Amino acid sequence: MVDIKRVTALLQEVVSPSRVTDRDFDMIPYSRDLSPANQKMPTHVVMPETREEIQGILKIANEQNIPVYIRGGGTSHWDAYLAQEPGIMLDLGRMNKILDINERDLVATVQPNCTWAKLDHELRKKGLTYLCSEAGGPAMTVGGSVMKAGGGPHSTAKFGFHGNQDIVTLEMVLPNGDIVETGSAAWPSAGKFKRQCLGPDLAGLFIGAEGILGVCTELTVRIRPATDISERLTATLPTLDDVIEFGHFINKHVGDEYMQGIYLWVDPSAPEVFFLMMDIFGYEKEIVDHRKKRIVEKLKELGGEIGDRAPADDYFGRILTGLTDLFTAGVWHFFGSGSLRIDDIGFLYKVWREEVIEKRGYTKAGFGGQILPRDWLAFMVTNYREPEEWQELVKMADEIDEITLRGPVVPYGIGGRDGLRRFVAERDTGYYRLLKTIKKTLDPKNILQRGIFIPEEELQ
Amino acid sequence: MKIEEYHDMIYACGRCEICRGFDYNDRCPEIFTQHWESSTARGRMAIARAILEGKIEYSEDLVERIFGCFMCGRCREECKKAAQIDVIAITKAMRQDFVDQGIKIPEDGARMADTVSNSGNIFADPPKIHNKWAEGLEFKEGSGTLFFPGCLASHRFKEKTNILVRLLQAAGYNLDFLGDEQECCGTPYWITGTMDNAKDYAKAYLQKLQNRGVKVIITPCPSCFRAFDEEYPHLLGLEQFPIKVRHTSEILLEIVEKKKLKLKPVEKKVTYHDPCEIGRYRDIYDPPRKVLEAIPGLEFVEMSRNRENAFCCGGGGGCKIMYPDNSQKVADERIGDFKQTNAELLSTICPACELNLTHGMYEADLDVRVLDIAEILAVSAGVVDSEILDPDYFPED
Repeated sequence: MVDIKRVTALLQEVVSPSRVTDRDFDMIPYSRDLSPANQKMPTHVVMPETREEIQGILKIANEQNIPVYIRGGGTSHWDAYLAQEPGIMLDLGRMNKILDINERDLVATVQPNCTWAKLDHELRKKGLTYLCSEAGGPAMTVGGSVMKAGGGPHSTAKFGFHGNQDIVTLEMVLPNGDIVETGSAAWPSAGKFKRQCLGPDLAGLFIGAEGILGVCTELTVRIRPATDISERLTATLPTLDDVIEFGHFINKHVGDEYMQGIYLWVDPSAPEVFFLMMDIFGYEKEIVDHRKKRIVEKLKELGGEIGDRAPADDYFGRILTGLTDLFTAGVWHFFGSGSLRIDDIGFLYKVWREEVIEKRGYTKAGFGGQILPRDWLAFMVTNYREPEEWQELVKMADEIDEITLRGPVVPYGIGGRDGLRRFVAERDTGYYRLLKTIKKTLDPKNILQRGIFIPEEELQ
Repeated sequence: MKIEEYHDMIYACGRCEICRGFDYNDRCPEIFTQHWESSTARGRMAIARAILEGKIEYSEDLVERIFGCFMCGRCREECKKAAQIDVIAITKAMRQDFVDQGIKIPEDGARMADTVSNSGNIFADPPKIHNKWAEGLEFKEGSGTLFFPGCLASHRFKEKTNILVRLLQAAGYNLDFLGDEQECCGTPYWITGTMDNAKDYAKAYLQKLQNRGVKVIITPCPSCFRAFDEEYPHLLGLEQFPIKVRHTSEILLEIVEKKKLKLKPVEKKVTYHDPCEIGRYRDIYDPPRKVLEAIPGLEFVEMSRNRENAFCCGGGGGCKIMYPDNSQKVADERIGDFKQTNAELLSTICPACELNLTHGMYEADLDVRVLDIAEILAVSAGVVDSEILDPDYFPED
């Protein structure tokens, strides 16, 4: 049991009392995320402003054996940042600054709760951009999405997810309070310009770890000159095999360019219609025109029909600027999702078609995904109403996850008790055993994100 | 509980965080001042849901989260892109629940509603003081066009209100005025959740106006404008208010568009603050700008956060009275937006905004006047001397 008042008093010694709360109504908003995960209440919420304050909070947590959970924008789809046990919620809302935009080295350094939209807004004033978008939209924080190795539908065909080389250096506070900088930032007399140097790529250790190995307090990311030449296309292809062939074509011939890749959407009301949206952008009109020509030729060769670009304008516009209509009333849930080879998209489609629509009669979930460099990120997604549709949704999604993850699909978000962690634990791989060893070494009391990614009993 | 009426909206929140914006506190003045997630629209929906589910109860500690909302509608504007939740309606319902359950609300808020009931205006002015602004002006009882200044314009902005009426009269508007019969529109009731008396109050007021033969109300106050045009019909179960209600932004536009007055140059660089209650609440963004742009010589410049993205002045939701420190902090932030424009004058068209932004100017130690657009137009029309634009001009009221 957490001695709430005692912990409050201790926290108020290291953080201004105005930024510590233990009131029930202040806990409630931190008890859910964007997923259908069960409500989970923290005991405290603290808003640190510096890494030193985070060090102080972690010290208290270690001494009092209270877990600490991390909150960015609160938009996880995987139960990855909810308090699995009563504990301290670290709301990083006030660590939201852009610390530096280095136009010579083409890197920007931000605090974790700076949002992508805020960063891009400032970059564009200087004719620069980050480009890689987050599916979560403008409110998604840089720290939150990098710590879950997130990504979005824009430009990922070239750059991949945030785990790719666009993350240059990180500053992390470890569970024991140590501060670690990665890449070139680890060398005290150098700077923040290179990801892979000085031995192992430690940034890769933290990216996607969902905060279980450290609290991110600073990130340096690659930026690039903004592009103002773009073309958008939509098309429908006759079969999924054609989509696969088109995916390979993109990767082989035009993927190494500012290319959206393919965003595929299949609506449950028309499961035989494979709708594609594409975004091509670059610095030279001739190059963009050439890429577009090649893409159109290939689409036609595959029997595709080129459509009106307006839906693509609308979609990419919304993703980048405001998400109009994307979040309608109710809660979204992504399930049956993950990364897979381009050739394997048929597996996931078959599960969606046969298991979700035909066998279970669930006709509200769509199917879609985007081609990344050499692979797919694919998902099924639905919008449902709580509380009346919650139980049916959770049961169905759980069954589909089970089927999906037995196939060639790698989950890209793990999360807590109501996420996918049991699927990872069941497989007991060398990877998982090493991760547990690292976790035990860095966090012997399992203070940070206790119950996220690795069930507590797995660490005993 | 009143919030039960909004059950579906409360559960419609998908927790997407669009309401909070692309910086954690750049949109919502409440999270700007209180910084907790429980201050956001998303947080409030979570709290409302927890109350509906019996997981928490209304409490005195919770009061600041609900009564500390500036009701600026910024979150509701964003939610139009998402779940279309009427956060303001739910906030008002929650405030009413506090009152109905006998939980102590901010003393100054409760007192404001009582004061209206006891004295007829929010300042407890006797009629002679409250109507002092009208000295020297002539009105035409029974003209059918009622000038309704509202409490703040009557009490705090005597000179501004006097100038406004002179401008309207110079443009040919034949105005009636209630004089000693004028009372508050009733807004303090609904913003403090004190609704026991509200329906009867609205009913009696409508009767009084109809008995006087009022066909049109002209008011400079967005709260009074919305009270008659939105709240009264809602309270009285009417499809629309039987009297036409016009905000002065519309009237001033009519004056310049129909060229009712001859305008001379005003060589000033001016910016404009969008009042929440006519901007986001009623989509009145262009008329004030068109009036400013019609004044010869005037250079109009926008603030960075403008129109539907405008930051609140800090005067909304009763916060000026209930949480003055928070209100001041928001005003200071908005004055920061003003400073970036390098404008010489800050204009708006709402007495509450004028008051709070004036206090912001004092706090920032800036010699800049905060003016109603009507005052600038009055200078241009020669109704009043241009000295009122001077940074060191100090009105006698």
